[in-house]
Parts: sequence; C-alpha cells; structure tokens
Amino acid sequence: MRHLVCVLLSVVAVATSSIADAAEPLHRRIDQLVAKDFDGDAAPRTSDAEFIRRIHLDLAGRIPSSSQVTAFLNDASPEKRQEVIDGLLASPDYADRMTNLFNVMLMERRGDDDDWQAFLRTCFAENRPWNQIVGSILKPDHEDEQLRGAAYFYTRRLEKVGQQTTDYAGLTRDVGRMFLGIDLQCAECHDHLFIDDYSQQEFQGLFSVYQNLSIRKEKFPAINEKTMTARVDFISVLTDEKGSTGPRVPFGREFEIPELPPVDPKAKPKRPDPNEPPTFSALKLIAENLPSAENKQFRQNIANRLWFCMMGRGLVEPLDEFHSENQASHPELLALLADEFAAHDFDIKWMIRELVLTDTWQRSTRIRPGSSPPKPKSYRLGNQRRLTAEQLFWSTLQATGNLERLTPGDDEEPAEEFSELKAGFVTAFASEPKEAAVEYTPAVKQALFLLNDSKLLDLLKPQPGNLAERIQSLPNEKVVDELYLSIFSRLPDDDERAAINEHLEENAKQRDAAVTRVAWAMLTSIEFAVNH
Amino acid sequence: MKQSETTIERPQLCVPREHAVSRRRLLGSAAAAAGVGGLGGLLEPAVAEELKRNDKQVVFVWLDGGISQLESWDPKPNTQFGGPYRAIPTSVPGIHLGELMPHTARQMHHMSILRSVHTQDNSHSAGVGRINRGDPKNRGVVYPYLGSAVAKLLGPTSTGLPPYCWVKPYSGGFKTSDAGFLPAKYGALAFGDAKAPENLLLNESISLEENEARNDLRKMFNRRFTQDRRKDWADANSYVFDVADTLMQRMDLFDESKIPEHDKDRYGRHALGRHMLMGRRLIEAGVRFVKVNSYHWDSHGDNFNACESLIPQFDQPFAALLEDLDDRGMLDNVLVIAISEFGRTPKINSHVGRDHWPEAWSVAMGGGGIKRGHVVGKTNKLGTFVDSEEYDIGHLFHTWFRALDVPEDLMEYDNAGQPLPIAHDDCSAIEDLLV
Repeated sequence: MRHLVCVLLSVVAVATSSIADAAEPLHRRIDQLVAKDFDGDAAPRTSDAEFIRRIHLDLAGRIPSSSQVTAFLNDASPEKRQEVIDGLLASPDYADRMTNLFNVMLMERRGDDDDWQAFLRTCFAENRPWNQIVGSILKPDHEDEQLRGAAYFYTRRLEKVGQQTTDYAGLTRDVGRMFLGIDLQCAECHDHLFIDDYSQQEFQGLFSVYQNLSIRKEKFPAINEKTMTARVDFISVLTDEKGSTGPRVPFGREFEIPELPPVDPKAKPKRPDPNEPPTFSALKLIAENLPSAENKQFRQNIANRLWFCMMGRGLVEPLDEFHSENQASHPELLALLADEFAAHDFDIKWMIRELVLTDTWQRSTRIRPGSSPPKPKSYRLGNQRRLTAEQLFWSTLQATGNLERLTPGDDEEPAEEFSELKAGFVTAFASEPKEAAVEYTPAVKQALFLLNDSKLLDLLKPQPGNLAERIQSLPNEKVVDELYLSIFSRLPDDDERAAINEHLEENAKQRDAAVTRVAWAMLTSIEFAVNH
Repeated sequence: MKQSETTIERPQLCVPREHAVSRRRLLGSAAAAAGVGGLGGLLEPAVAEELKRNDKQVVFVWLDGGISQLESWDPKPNTQFGGPYRAIPTSVPGIHLGELMPHTARQMHHMSILRSVHTQDNSHSAGVGRINRGDPKNRGVVYPYLGSAVAKLLGPTSTGLPPYCWVKPYSGGFKTSDAGFLPAKYGALAFGDAKAPENLLLNESISLEENEARNDLRKMFNRRFTQDRRKDWADANSYVFDVADTLMQRMDLFDESKIPEHDKDRYGRHALGRHMLMGRRLIEAGVRFVKVNSYHWDSHGDNFNACESLIPQFDQPFAALLEDLDDRGMLDNVLVIAISEFGRTPKINSHVGRDHWPEAWSVAMGGGGIKRGHVVGKTNKLGTFVDSEEYDIGHLFHTWFRALDVPEDLMEYDNAGQPLPIAHDDCSAIEDLLV
C-alpha cells in the first residue's frame, strides 16, 4: 500500500513551483533561503584573490596564471567578478572541466574510455540539457557517432571480473544512485530494513530491465538489449512475500509488457542474433521516463549533486540516500533548485552560473580570529573542497609555468612526459575505484609522489618559458611576489614577503636552489592542495 | 525445531538474529555499561597514559574466500563429511589438527583454537565486511576493519611507523575504505606483493639536508594557511607527510638482500610465505597492526586438491611466524590471528567442493594475551553445527580488544558526537581464551 502512495505522490508532485515570482534572480533567492537558517554571523565575501582562484578551479579546472591574477586584482570594474564568470563559462575549458567532474562522479574511477570522454565533452561543449544527457546514457544509440560513447556507463559495469557473473545488480544500483540519488542495494533481496521508501519492488522494477543488457561487440562501447517478454517474480528473503513487476522507474508506475506477435509454429526457428534490436525495448521506456521534469527524484538528485560540487556538501547527505527519513538540511532550497533547474530545461551552465553568483558560493573560508568554525551545513563559512587528481595536475602545470609547453595541441599526440606525469597524478591522487570522490583523502602515496617523483620535481627546473626560467631573470625584490602569484594565486602579505626574502638572502649563493625549494614547499602545502 | 545433524539447512540470509544472552554475558555487558557513563569517546587521562605505554601488536592473517575448517583446525576424519585427510597429533597432547598442517601442529603450544564460531552471513560480499568490522549492532554507520580500529584505539607504536600495514598480493597503495567512518588516515598502507610503495626512495637529486629544509618550509606554509582555517584537513595532510618521512627512513625493510636465505626457505618462497615473512619484519620494525592476506580459498570445486595445494602454503609460514616471535621473546606482546569470512560446508557438493558455512567454523589465534595450547568450544560429531556455546565475531572482537589491553569498558568511538561501542554491545570477551 505504501508503494501506491509513493507512486501517487511522485506523479502528483510534478514541478509545480511557480516561475511567477522569478522577478528575483535565483542566486538571490538561494542566498535568502540559506541566510534564513543562520545561527550566527556569516563570513564575508572572498577577497578578489580568493575569488579568482576558486572560480578558475571550478569553471576551468585549474588555477589562473599569475598574469590572470594580476590583471584581475588591478581591474577596477565593479562588474569584474561577473565578467570573469561569463568569460570562463564561454571558454572551451568549461567543457573540459565539466567532463572531468562528471566523469569522476558517474564512473567513480572504474576506468576510462576515449569515446565516453568525447561524449561528455560534446554534451558540455554544446551545453546539452541534463535530461538529454541522461537519456543518451540510459539508452545509448550506437549509430550516433557523436554520442555513442555514452554506452560506457553501462559497458564498463557489464564487464565481468574474473569468474564473477555480470553484476546486473550493481549496474541497477548505480543507475539509482547516480540519476535518482537512491542506493537500492539492500532492496535487491528484501524491502530495505531501515529505509521504508526503498522497497524490493523499486529495485526489481529497474533490475528487470537491466538483466537483459549485454555488451555488443564493437570497436566502441555499445550494448544489446534482449526483448523482455514477461514480468519478473521475486521473493523477499525476510518475509517470503512474493511479488512480481514489469519494468518501472523507481517510485513510478509499472509499464506494461506488450504481447508478442504469435510465433508461426511452422517457421524454421531462427538462430538468435544478439545484435537484433528488441521488439519491445523496456530500456527505452526507462530512458524516456526516468530523466523527466515530472520525476521529482530525478530533479532533486541533480540539483543536490550540482550543489555539492559547488558548495562542498550536499543538501542531502549522503548524495545517494534520498528518502523521507533523511531530510535535506534546507528542504525549501532543494525544492527551489530542483524546480527552477527543470523549469530552465535542465540548463547546466545556467544553473552553475546562478550558483557561483550566490554569496553562499563566494563566502570566504577564513575563520574570524577568536571565533569557532560553524557547522559546515550552515554555509556561514565557505566550505573547502577536494580537488580531483586532474584539477591538481593542471594546476601544477599552470603554477610551474609548464602548461603551454606541455599541453598538446588539438591534433597532437601528447608528449611522453605529459602522459606519464598525468598518469602519476591520477595514480597518486584519484580516489579508489568504485568510491564516491566526496571527502578530502590525503594518503601516504600522495606525499611520496610529491616528495620523490622525478617528473614532478623536473617541473621546477628551468625550461623555456616556465616559472623557474622566468624567475632567473627577475630582480630579487620581484621573486617572492611572482612565486605567490604563480602558485598561490595571490600576493604575499608583508610578513610572508619578509620571511621568504630572508630565506632567499640566507641562501643567496644558491639562489636557484633556494627558489626551487620555496616553490616546492608551496606546491606541496595544504594551501595548494585544496579549493578554498 | 531441532536441527538434525545430517540435513544441512541454512536459515535465510540477513535475518537479524536475537543473540542468546547467557547470564554471565548479560552481567558482563551490564558492568560494561556502568563504566561507559557519559565519556563520549574521550579517554580519562589515566587511560590515555596507559595506552601510550601499550606495546601490543597484531598480525592478522586473512585467508580470503574461506579456509575449510575440516581440513585444518577442526578435522573430523572417518565421518560422513570428513573428507580424505587424517588428523595428526600436535605439540599439545589431545589436540589434533588436519594432516596438511604438520608445521603448525608443532607450534600448537603457542596458540589456541576457537572451534565454536557461528556467524551471520554466508556471502562473500557481505561476510568479508561483517567479519572484518566485528559485525556490531547496526547504527547506520560503516564500522572500521579491525586494523583501522586498532590503529585508532592504540595509535602507532613509539616508532611512528604507520599503525596499519597490509601485505597483500597484487597492487599496493593506501586503502582508505578499511577505515569505515573513522578518518581516512586510519586506512591501511598496503604493500602490494610485499614491495616498497612507489616513490619511497628519496629522489636522487635531493640530499638529506635539502629534504629537511624543504619540509621545514612546507610546514611553515601549512602553519600560515591554517591560522584562520579549519584544521582537520591540514592535520590529515601533515600526518601523511610524517608517515611518508618515517617510512622513507626504513627503506631497509624492502631490501630483499637483507633477508637471510634460511628465513626465505623456512617461510616458503611462494607469495604467502614471502608476505608472512614481510609481516614479521614489519612487526619487528614496530608496526602496530599488520594484515597479511591471501586469496583463492573459495574451494567450491575440487576442495581437496585445493586444500592440498593451499594449506601447506599457509601452514609453513604461519608456524615459522609463531616460532620466530617466540624465539625473539615477542609472542607475549604480539597477538596472532588466522581467520576467513566463514568456514566451509561439511557437505561435499557435486563438484567435490565445499560451499560457504558460517554456522560452525574455527578461528585460530595465539600470542599476546591469549591462552596457549588450548581449544575452546566444539562442533558435533559430523562438524555440521556447534555443540557448545556459539560465539560470533562480536565476541572475538571483545576478546581481542581485551588481549590488546584496550580498556574496553571505557572505550567507545566518537563519530561526530554519536557514541559508538567499539564492538557488539550484546557480546563480551570469551574468557576461556584469555590468559
């Protein structure tokens, strides 16, 4: 009975939130809702230097160059923050950054694939709406050369590991986690013990579809789907209660399985061709109905995930545990974000722009002297965020002035040095396969990489145009500022300038070595390692 | 319903079972509850002092997939499900082991066996986690594996070496998932195939003095940044650099040429032998908790040939480890455990294999705080079910924490304000196993 109620609720609760009072832009309304729950003072807005670093990491996937920082600090325009935001959103770096962000989120470091990367990049370069992106993933079209890489979300998870059978349950679970924010793992065999909303039927309705998928033999990721001919029966291992279901989107209605045309008994049985399209595609029904504006769970999941990416924590946490007993920290805000996002045709770029325009996003991470840090979910203080391995890699190239020298052009093969260095960063800093990259997780292997990896240390040696070479020709009094602008994306304060100058003077005879030492220590410090 | 000895029926998976609470155990946990009152995860100063002096260590041997208790710790020769192997006498009169374990049999006086283990899960996917985490009462959080728990409760030894190391086949790295809800730094530092982690050697372009100077500068930048920012991330970041530094000074641990040929022979030159020997060296170096594991014990098919190949690879180095720790006078301080996620079915299936059996199996342990030359509990004649008081992994966690002098009555984790007992509230230590 409870499920019926759930179904009804989710059908009725379509995006009814009015766009009528949209006179106020979304970012203001967000700030009002966040401020409503403040239990103390909020930190001030970021300084210009904090802003320029943060916005580059979030929208371009790397820190700004020292000249970009200087130009921004010297810009007197009152609109300069908005101008930078719009410039970065229009730059090709935006698509690269989003590709990295969504690749890590959706694949959780299971592996990588060029066609998949190309698919994501196309989507973000064209700013395709989220519901269409998800539609392409849920029902990949192997004939669409541009988008067929989307199938990798399925094929990587359909691969068998050793002697294990295909993990259809794991695939089903990930569809729920990534696109609906619900982890149905425990509902495979019985209604979830602690989460009333997660019934076995929700799992089985999706599972019934996914168990018909297989990997199609192609040079690119692709799948085949077998025709579903009957509803699936299941039994609770706890209560022995039996059930059956046809394909259904969790919390949605069940779809009917059409009668198959009668088989001519005289016809010679054909050898089944796995590549033949199904006469009835349940997957198509899922792909059409799951990513829709009417699906509240779909809207709220993506709103929550985008919020998490930009603000450092989810309104609902964990990100894949939406249910009625796990309320959002700011329910009204979550509903607003979800409904407005749907009302704007799931325009990701628009949504991200609104988020970075908020005071909430622009709040400093610095704690006022003498006060204790507030709870992260209050958003009274900016939340620090972890960097992906790729953000750290690109930022390191930028900071050391090796970005242009090493980055391959569009049609160029990357230099060996570039590929090895990138792989080194990924090995050291990427989260573990199948783990959501949510927390900041420093590890001994990261420290060892930063301490001893030759390719990394080589970035600090003079090369044409890089930081080390630039500094060689700078007069002493400019060295410290250049180091700070290049690596920390800010100017040093007087104490810092004095301390580093003192170190350089003490080591005046080995100036180059001293500069390298300071640069290394900055690159490996916590200030460089996180988005703050 | 009385379970017959010959029809083996498993109850349904996942059923949350009521633990039968004996009067003694009830009294035990009531006493424990009285001691917990309001500490909220903080140690009393006296306890903290006591922990600082704690020099207990652990070697935890994990036989992934499930070693057959009938071919090892609990042989039932000449019975319906006993299989083809004999039982052999050990160094302790009256105690027998499977004949595939001649070396361990000679070390029986250093260890004890619990033969009445009865756990809750017969799937690998859930069972591995349950056993490693001690299967505590569900409070909606993921508990740490034993190694992470000990790393948290006892910390590193005075050597500063990482408290939780893991010698394993295949790849190494830092495995944070073992830490559960604890901070990631309590995860395991894994040495894949006993090899040094990548980048352990100080880069040839950096002198020792230079290394110190650059790290001093790094710390200066960190201090500056954290003056007015949240401290937790910076602390975690500093911690891994400190551990890296300590490890870099122990490169010798990974130098094969420093290992006597004699030891290589005694432990065996196969993977588990080399890995167990590495385990001993890490314990000697001062690592608090070493996990050594081997895979492929899941003998659903051809169980007896599998055992004949695998068990000797365990028997030889395990016995050598006990012998060496005893020789060095370390056994009183080092708790040694050999365990899997479950035992194997007495019933032999049509592939001449044994399947998963959490109903009645055995765990072996020895050294620090554990009685020597002792068997606790028993199974029935056919080995199908426990024929004495059943003990779950929760009891073992209590037992091990006691053996390690973790003052369990005072200890709970503090998970962001949520107090969490370190082991299952309804279980208590198995007194018969403790010295």
